[in-house]
Amino acid sequence: MSGLAPLTARELKKWYRNPVFLLTGLIQPFFWLALFGSAIDISKFLGGGAATSAAAGVIFQGASNYITFILGGILVITSLFTAMFSGVNIIFDRRLGPMGRFLTSPIRRSSIVFSKILSAMVRILVQVVILIAAAFVIPNGLVLEHGFSLLAGFVLVVTVILVALIFSSIFSVIAVRLKDMNTIFGIVNLVNLPLLFMSYAMFPPDIMASWLADAAKYNPVSWAAESIRTVVINGTVISSQVANVEWWMGSLAILAAGLVLLTYFVAEKEIRD
Amino acid sequence: MPVIIKTENLSKIYGGKIKALEDLNIEIEEGEVYGLLGPNGAGKSTTINLLTTRITPTSGTALVGGFDIKKHSMDVRKVIGVVPQDLTTDEDLTGYENLMMVARFYDVPKNLANERIATLLRLVDLEEAASRYVKQYSGGMRKRLELIVGLVHDPKILFLDEPTLGLDVQTRTQMWEYVRDIQKKLNVTIILTSHYLEEVDALANRISIIDHGKILITGTPEGLKESLKGDIVQLTFKNQEDAETMKKFPEATEARDFGPNIVRVTVRNSDEVLPVLIKYVSENNLTIMRMTVQKPSLDEVFLQYTGRDIRQEDAGDVRKMMMNMRRMRR
Repeated sequence: MSGLAPLTARELKKWYRNPVFLLTGLIQPFFWLALFGSAIDISKFLGGGAATSAAAGVIFQGASNYITFILGGILVITSLFTAMFSGVNIIFDRRLGPMGRFLTSPIRRSSIVFSKILSAMVRILVQVVILIAAAFVIPNGLVLEHGFSLLAGFVLVVTVILVALIFSSIFSVIAVRLKDMNTIFGIVNLVNLPLLFMSYAMFPPDIMASWLADAAKYNPVSWAAESIRTVVINGTVISSQVANVEWWMGSLAILAAGLVLLTYFVAEKEIRD
Repeated sequence: MPVIIKTENLSKIYGGKIKALEDLNIEIEEGEVYGLLGPNGAGKSTTINLLTTRITPTSGTALVGGFDIKKHSMDVRKVIGVVPQDLTTDEDLTGYENLMMVARFYDVPKNLANERIATLLRLVDLEEAASRYVKQYSGGMRKRLELIVGLVHDPKILFLDEPTLGLDVQTRTQMWEYVRDIQKKLNVTIILTSHYLEEVDALANRISIIDHGKILITGTPEGLKESLKGDIVQLTFKNQEDAETMKKFPEATEARDFGPNIVRVTVRNSDEVLPVLIKYVSENNLTIMRMTVQKPSLDEVFLQYTGRDIRQEDAGDVRKMMMNMRRMRR
């Protein structure tokens, strides 16, 4: 009698019946990928010539073009944005009335929140698939020079899911007692640019100001972007990267687990009209 | 009949000082239609929200269907059905989907759920609309849907919080029919709140009048009307002197001031007493400016016990203060 299944089904029904919803979530990441991704031509980046190209190759971790380099970052950012807004639906339920029904039904109160998180995860995975497909289609787009192993797929999917869990949990906890969605929009606006640019999502650490590169080291967005980036560029987890990927994904997993637990307790105790 | 709801000093106090509900002690029997009557902000919704575990009491407790609302809220939720004041159905789903979702909240097996949903839809004439999105429903249709959403798990107790708020008069009387039908066919105990006197009069077999978080009186509609001890003649005189003389009218069972130069006289039977009253007035040379005769009605009962007219629909103090508090919290 947890209520999680019917509530998640409800969220997903509302989503797939409204194609605009799906599209609007994709337009921004698509432009990031297609326009921002094409804005930097790695071969020209350091002034051309064989030697500098080689240097650029090192800085960009061997990505054959910027879109290949940036894809991991874009996937993480897409996941981040969709996850951040999942909390908003809690406020909508409170304002439009369904919350009253949920609170007097014998369901776990955390199910109300976890149904949003789960459905955000499903939405994010669909967005990820569409964005990867788009990256192939864009001129001078994604190049999988070294193929793409099953392990690489696992790293990509799990990382995206962890990012979704982390940020949808944080924003759900914020939304649990809020009555006004503008607060959420405000917080999203406040944190999205720092989260994005104080990370390795768009740029390699070697070209950043060193203070920024140092700060970005502690950003979960960096960990996630780097994990996906390395498997996209190298086709799998190459031996020199094993320790890194383990550390990144391990940290993300611990963070996600902690936040999910927090969400559970806050939702069980604090959710109300 | 066994008692199905019993409250013990149930209180809800907001912010340490706003008493939304104070020491409520009521007993409701199985099969009753119990009406809570009071103006906006009187504490009706607070009572319902407490009994349906939507909010927790500041002190005191209640047994609902045998379960303590504080310690066993999950068990309470299983035996109750709720039709809250606000609409709770999801506009982006169909009527059927809304009902099915709630049925799944209670783990009703799918076949049984389908059977019940079909019965309930028929009960409120929504069979045709079941597969349409709720956003396409009219106001009355949505209210009817709300009414049956609270019934998919076959609850023992149904709470109706202002079930006809915002509906036009015709739709309202129609809703009453549906509620009566439900009570008869499903044999549930119904707790109803309303600030429409005629609604409570039409539906409830026992009524409590509530104001400022306190129950003022409880009884059957007939009993309450009888407690008025007759018909009320309200007279407005030219001056207070005349009014004082009127209060000495020998046939009055009760006479009291009701404003400047206004006297309310209670008489056994106005049809017979009125001629006597007129004679008394002319013998004493009293000048009447205005005179009304009222047969016992719940309006009169309400006026008698709260000292004001229920139709003065100012938002009550509590509600206003709560709204201010909410704003402050943001």
